[in-house]
Amino acid sequence: MAIAQFVVNGLLVGALFAAVAVGFALIWGVVDIINLAHGEMVMLGGYTAYWLLSVATGTAEGSVLLFLATLPVVITVLFVVGYVLQRTLVSQVIETDIFLTLLVTFGISIAIQQLAIQAWTANPRSIQVAFADPSMTLGGLVVPKMKFVAFGGAILLTVLLFVFLQRTRTGRAIRAVSQNPEAAALVGIDVAHTRAVTFGISSAIAGGAGAFIATILNIQPQMGLIYTLKSFVIVVFGGVGSIPGALTGGLLLGTVEELTAGLISSQWTLAVSFTLLVVLLVVKPQGLFGTEADQ
Amino acid sequence: MSTENDGGLLRSALSSEQVDRTFDFCGRHAWTLIAVAAVAGALPPVFGLREGYYMTVLSEMFLFGVLALSWDIVGGQTGYPSFGNMAFFGIGAYVTAILVTDAALAFPLAIVGAAVVVVVFALINGLIVLRLRGHYFAIATLGILLATQQVSRNLAITGGASGKILLDVPPGIVFYYFFLGVLVAEIAVVYYLSQTRFGFVLNAIRDDEEKATAMGFNTTYYKTAAWVLAALFTGLAGGAYGLFNTFINPQTAYNGAWNVELIAMALMGGTGTVAGPVIGAFGLHTVIEVVETAFVGWQLVLLGIAVIVTVIGYPDGVVGTLREYASEMEYYEYGGMAAAEADDEPEVPADE
Amino acid sequence: MSDSTATPRAEAETVLRTDGITKRFGGLTAVDDVSVAVNEGEIVGLIGPNGAGKSTLFNCVTGRLTADEGAVFLQGEDVTRWPEYRIARAGLGRMFQETRVFGGMTVRKNLLLAAQEGGANVSGLLRRPDDSLRARTTELLEYVDLGGLATTQAGRLSFGQQKLLEFAMELMAEPDLLLMDEPAGGINPSMLENLIDYIQTANSEEEATIFLIEHNMEFVMEIADRIYVLAHGERIASGTPAEIQNDQRVLDAYLGRE
Repeated sequence: MAIAQFVVNGLLVGALFAAVAVGFALIWGVVDIINLAHGEMVMLGGYTAYWLLSVATGTAEGSVLLFLATLPVVITVLFVVGYVLQRTLVSQVIETDIFLTLLVTFGISIAIQQLAIQAWTANPRSIQVAFADPSMTLGGLVVPKMKFVAFGGAILLTVLLFVFLQRTRTGRAIRAVSQNPEAAALVGIDVAHTRAVTFGISSAIAGGAGAFIATILNIQPQMGLIYTLKSFVIVVFGGVGSIPGALTGGLLLGTVEELTAGLISSQWTLAVSFTLLVVLLVVKPQGLFGTEADQ
Repeated sequence: MSTENDGGLLRSALSSEQVDRTFDFCGRHAWTLIAVAAVAGALPPVFGLREGYYMTVLSEMFLFGVLALSWDIVGGQTGYPSFGNMAFFGIGAYVTAILVTDAALAFPLAIVGAAVVVVVFALINGLIVLRLRGHYFAIATLGILLATQQVSRNLAITGGASGKILLDVPPGIVFYYFFLGVLVAEIAVVYYLSQTRFGFVLNAIRDDEEKATAMGFNTTYYKTAAWVLAALFTGLAGGAYGLFNTFINPQTAYNGAWNVELIAMALMGGTGTVAGPVIGAFGLHTVIEVVETAFVGWQLVLLGIAVIVTVIGYPDGVVGTLREYASEMEYYEYGGMAAAEADDEPEVPADE
Repeated sequence: MSDSTATPRAEAETVLRTDGITKRFGGLTAVDDVSVAVNEGEIVGLIGPNGAGKSTLFNCVTGRLTADEGAVFLQGEDVTRWPEYRIARAGLGRMFQETRVFGGMTVRKNLLLAAQEGGANVSGLLRRPDDSLRARTTELLEYVDLGGLATTQAGRLSFGQQKLLEFAMELMAEPDLLLMDEPAGGINPSMLENLIDYIQTANSEEEATIFLIEHNMEFVMEIADRIYVLAHGERIASGTPAEIQNDQRVLDAYLGRE
């Protein structure tokens, strides 16, 4: 039945929102910065995958495996971009006025967007992944294969991040810095480097999500802001620093959007999302899963 | 956050006393200066500039002056940086456009109508967002801006995605004087308020809202007043802009990039001051125009970079940096040394 | 838990009275059935070990927190549920432990702002400060030895200077009751002497009524007419400094034997 289909569509795309939001939550929780350029990392990830494929096959088309092979590159590139941005620019405004940090990342966002327009024109592009049969049918519901792959990829990225933070040394360093930078410094953690690494990881995941987005939706230079704001909605809902919260929030947001598109009209999805943003901010700024950056 | 790095260049050009005396002079003759500026602004058309590219540029400079100064009332003076002021602009533009085309109202009446709608919107909007602080406030305003944009895009009355086209518009010179007039009026109002307790309270809210409350000020009331004032001027500017531009659509009416631009202008000129945002507006707009003609398409890249540089290097802006510089001498003359030596040994209490 | 024998002067007007104030945070009872009174012209101290609930009590009085049980009366009026700004407007001044002034404004502006006259009416707000007001700010600045700093940004002042500015701001406001939160904190002995002087002069010459929290025992004993002692949220003693100093319960509380 139609609603179930909408819900499934919503969950599929929602996982991608969640993967993007998770990185956003990480930066917010650890570096205490709301990164308004986060969406641009998604965009850059999409374009990186696009160009890699174009170089490899001559057109932006390929098999699933070929596409997946671009992911490690995308992730690495975006990691570097994020790391450098934090280390050189964002770090300069860390302890200052909240407004200045918002503004600097917004400035970065605009600069990247516009450079992208200059470089790649404003025309939307997408990656076509070839399947013999593009969708499958599960229990009466249509599930496009690529969306399913994207879903899996997004969940995988999110889970990997969670495990990374819990189990690795760098992950512990990141958690330490998020809880108490001074104490972390005292035990020998390089705080500046750790923050930059956080930014890098967050950008990398966003980039990975962006690559998937290029296959199931399309990419254009100005798509970033919307993802940034959606991430904001999700993180405010799920709680800053909570990965499970971001995952839940993402899936929910995706579902709400698809239901809106299906039951009302796709024109109104953004209006609903932004209104949801404002409502959440007023009603529940602490989010559902907690207030502290405890992971 | 003080600008210890405002070093060599400034020092070699001007002594801090000179700067201090300039500020003093401006302070004492402020009203005369405003009148002189108004007259100066009114002159170009009298001397022949009645249409064309340069007049448009000047008109837009005045327009941005209004926008930047309006933003600053809430952002710089009261400490609530909004990323969604353009919502007022857009609503002003759309309401005027609708009234002029669909209701065949004359331009002046339409603008008044737009102003009323904007004020009502600001009151409602303010009820929601002004209870938030910092990050949340900024993002909420952005959310409202974008939500409003989406709504305009979807409704028939606003012409959907293509917006509205206005054909029968007054000649450019009307807009030149309109924007100039609104700017001068706004400068006068903001300057006057900055000298009264109302203005002081706004600054107090910026510096320490809790202390202001503890001192007996109903901060909600003041914040809302500032918010509505800013909305009014922004809405007026927007109202005229639709006609000035001969068309209005969701992209131009609710332009997020412009919102960042006007914040940058206020920041570069110096937030929390009267002259700062205006100077910043004139300066940045000119630069962007130049870049736009010389390197088409790069003006927004420039904007992004300009924002980054200003935020990192010169957060106090032109006026702010000058002011810091001017008061340096004074601090060291009195108190500075004595203060440093007398008080900074924390007392360790003998008991508990 | 009974009180000492000293009773407040019954004839003087009671400026502040709290009646069984109780405030809980989750499972913790921060303030437990506390009743205090401050009369016109007195300087009353509030002492107790850390975590005794002193600041919480203050917050219930100023309206920053609302008591769960009990009532607060200011000049006889029940202000328990009033919003903070309204209570302040009604004549309650508050100085903060961490010394808060408006850093982005000049010293003079801080003082001008503190003057309460004109109230909330619009015309008062929109008028520029008149000369008599400015004269009074100069007078007050001289009084606390900050003259000459009138046009300096308040944020540039040293901690001690800011404390004096905050105090001067309160004098400017002429509150019926001034609450001071650890006024002796963080300043050196000579400035402390000055502060004691200023407070006592304000109290004797301007009839300033003061209620203060303090950890510095010497300071409190020297300056207070009466003292209340809180421990674990409860009022365990009240009386003159001499009585308090000899009260076993108080000593026990501080030495942790309670």
